[in-house]
Amino acid sequence: MSEASTPTDLDLVRAIKAGDERAFEEMVERYHARVYSLSYGVLRNAEDAEESTQDTFLTLYRKIGTFDESKKFFSWFYRVALNQAYSRARRRPARTVAIEDYLPRFDESGHVASLEAGDFSQRIEDEAAAKELALRAEEFIAELAPAYRDVIWMNDVEEIPSAEIAETLEISIPAFKSRLHRARLYVRQRLSEITRPSARREAAG
Amino acid sequence: MSHGGEGPCDAPNSLEELTCERLILDKLLEFEEGTMPEPERARFRHHLELCPPCVHFLDSYRATGKTLRMLKPKEIPPALARTVLSFVRSRREKKGE
Repeated sequence: MSEASTPTDLDLVRAIKAGDERAFEEMVERYHARVYSLSYGVLRNAEDAEESTQDTFLTLYRKIGTFDESKKFFSWFYRVALNQAYSRARRRPARTVAIEDYLPRFDESGHVASLEAGDFSQRIEDEAAAKELALRAEEFIAELAPAYRDVIWMNDVEEIPSAEIAETLEISIPAFKSRLHRARLYVRQRLSEITRPSARREAAG
Repeated sequence: MSHGGEGPCDAPNSLEELTCERLILDKLLEFEEGTMPEPERARFRHHLELCPPCVHFLDSYRATGKTLRMLKPKEIPPALARTVLSFVRSRREKKGE
């Protein structure tokens, strides 16, 4: 491992393969925050996310010999992290929504059928209201099937570049965009439902 | 983007036209990302001029984006890096790896 400049991921991978303990520590430093937040996106609670993060780095330690150095490390490693989180998530009952039920509806000629109530674009001008809606949005994302949930979480919350997300999830850029858009349409629909004047009256009463 | 009009969509509806459905389901992301070529952007904007429901929809789509951007990656527990290192070390010793 070169002392002079920051080692690349590949430098670290090779050093770890050669048994360099410090290189492994550096890899933990470099990636643990991202791995934790990715795991949280899947598991939705701190304890599970922490354990999944530990398992991810243990897997990294054990499987690093199988990493193909011609590939990008981050996409291999994010996949390791997601797979760890998925297998932990499978141990508990999941409740996911059918995204199709929440996509906008059109009449047979392709027009928006009617003006739906619930314009929250004014409401988010108020910071406290916006924060409250953001927390609800996070709950709505958690209910999505993994194919949509992971895309919107990685893109809109983690702000991972789209090419990296597509590569990690092994999907094409058009498939990535389509999933992202549908996931946002879903969140938009849910947010507009809870901000309908009648929904707000119900919540208040 | 918001305006006072609350009527229905007045955009003409022929096969070559951009319907609300195509606009919202297929084209909106490209429009918002700024990757849509200009002639198509002009058609998109033209539809919006004639269609209060789509303007309303676009407002709430943008508000959704703003709301999502308020969410931040989860902050990690401060000791996690240390915990990870000692966990991996202990497991390695146990398994003799």
